[in-house]
Amino acid sequence: MTTRRQILQSAVAPMIVPSLVLGQRAGAIAPSDKITFGGIGIGSRGAHVLSKLLNVEQARFVAICDVRNSRRETIKSTVDQKYGDHGCQMYSDQYELLARQDIDAVLIATGDRWHTPLSIIAAQHGKDVYCEKPCSMSIEESWALGAAFRRYNRLYQAGCQRRNGANFQLCKELLKSGALGKLQALYANVGPSVNWPPLPSRDWLAAEELPPKQVLDWDRWLGPAPWRPYHSSYVTGGWRNFYDFHGGGILEWGSHTVDLCHWAADYDDTQPVEYEPVGTNVGPYQVNCRYANGVKLVMRDNAWDGALKTGSCSFRIEGDKGWVETGDATRIECSDNIRPLLRPTESAALALENHVKELVRCIKTRQATSASASAAANSHVTCHAAFIAYQRGKTLTWDTTKHEFTNDEIANRMRSRALREPWRV
Amino acid sequence: MQQPTQPAPAVPAAKPKPPEPPPEFQEGAIATMDAAGLLRIVSDAKSTEFQKAKSCVRLGELGAKEAIPVLASLLGDEHLSVYARYGLEPMADPSADDALRAALTKQKGVRLIGVINSIGKRRDAKAIPALVKFMHGPDVDLARAAASALGCIGGETSAKELQAALSKTTGTTRAAVADACLVCSERLLAEGKRDQALAFYAALSATDLPKPVRLAAMSGIIREETLSVKPR
Repeated sequence: MTTRRQILQSAVAPMIVPSLVLGQRAGAIAPSDKITFGGIGIGSRGAHVLSKLLNVEQARFVAICDVRNSRRETIKSTVDQKYGDHGCQMYSDQYELLARQDIDAVLIATGDRWHTPLSIIAAQHGKDVYCEKPCSMSIEESWALGAAFRRYNRLYQAGCQRRNGANFQLCKELLKSGALGKLQALYANVGPSVNWPPLPSRDWLAAEELPPKQVLDWDRWLGPAPWRPYHSSYVTGGWRNFYDFHGGGILEWGSHTVDLCHWAADYDDTQPVEYEPVGTNVGPYQVNCRYANGVKLVMRDNAWDGALKTGSCSFRIEGDKGWVETGDATRIECSDNIRPLLRPTESAALALENHVKELVRCIKTRQATSASASAAANSHVTCHAAFIAYQRGKTLTWDTTKHEFTNDEIANRMRSRALREPWRV
Repeated sequence: MQQPTQPAPAVPAAKPKPPEPPPEFQEGAIATMDAAGLLRIVSDAKSTEFQKAKSCVRLGELGAKEAIPVLASLLGDEHLSVYARYGLEPMADPSADDALRAALTKQKGVRLIGVINSIGKRRDAKAIPALVKFMHGPDVDLARAAASALGCIGGETSAKELQAALSKTTGTTRAAVADACLVCSERLLAEGKRDQALAFYAALSATDLPKPVRLAAMSGIIREETLSVKPR
């Protein structure tokens, strides 16, 4: 049987064979017409995304790569059980998975340190990418990510699923329609700081005995992150407490909510020009930012579900005629004049499902995704710049053309992180 | 119309406290130390690996050029080489380039790849002749790193060397050379050398190159040819 790839690669039109002749049920999607996915580093969040992907009929998940054998086996078991076969292949080396010509796209849900390098390597191998956020570890990585996906003309979908959430979309619609008036300020919830404070620790944990390489490949787990002795806490989620593996609370939350602000305001191609940090590392904090057009972006620790209890990852838009605010609780809070314009929306919990479906649709049609690498680069640069301002404890000004701070050389030197050899972006 | 009210997600408890770092692995005073103090730590044979690692990062942030020789002395260290490069990469002073270039003849294997990566990041054009030798050398990993660095450095000399290497290299080295050519083309475009960049893209459309590279090159040509602000 001629595969979709062979059709695309051939200059000769193939003979069309009705699917019913091949014994497929009417309306079923031929296996060769499905978008095939591999996964790299699928933990709890990745498994959640995978659960949505496995329900997309046009997609087929065929391979898992992980440095932990237990993870590999868990994902294989989940996938094989879903499909009723033994087809999911396991890998410990990402290059072996990426070398498979039959894989169209990869789901990347490793720790943050791997996100940009792996995404770029995948693009170099001709793969489209779904990558969890935060998508980068530095300003430099953010630009490298955007440039690579433009260079290779591959599709990238950041795991910013709220762009496909109906309540979030309604808020954007209210701004674009003019109902809110002229945009004045955007508010991104970057709290709660009790979970991930703005400044993660630069310490190390005490060394523990390394497990056998076939159980955990520590060198590959560290990947581009600076070397440190092994401790089991890192690999079971504790890595988020440490600077070498994490961009702090501002990036952790801002990659969700600053991203929403950029998307709602159509600021996917720019960044603020000023960053003013307020507060300390132990309590509620805030970074007041300003775009070149005067619009404000306020990143604030507003507790888990925001002061208005609109749920986690809430954001707020203020215009000169009204305001709206929403989050993962789906409910939209707004000024009185906006209330008549509201309509019921589906649950925000459906956003991820919509997001994954959008990616598969875009891969088929080669249309841009809503959470492209370029958009991710700009929102992440904004978060990194805020994080640097917070670390510097002073107001920083930023040149959006030269991509540099204009009033602090130390801040400029913090725009990138050295990657452990042999990795590079 | 009233919004349907759904229950807010369950509020998670604050995450459990992570294990406490032992005193010898706490950054402590190093975080606020001046360059002289940090330099003393890195130079002191009695300092621990942790102390040196943290001091290297901080020296890089401070841009303390007097630390360059000491940082360079750690480029061959299995655990500290990345921290040494953390310190060297952001240094504005050209002696950081000199130190990294000098390390090209001293380091080996993966440590040498790290040095090459840092040279590429700093876009040190003086390193081009040495990088060209590595690109044509027998060690595939070094050759790939060197090609990548040449692409990052960009400019006409790198472009010429990379284009020549396209017909002289094979396998995964050639794939890396082709990737570097794409990056170099973008550098040429940024410098306003559009005709050279387009010629480069055309060379990368050869059918025997990896498909992702050919597609990228064709995309580059289309992107440039359809830019309304730059009519050909």
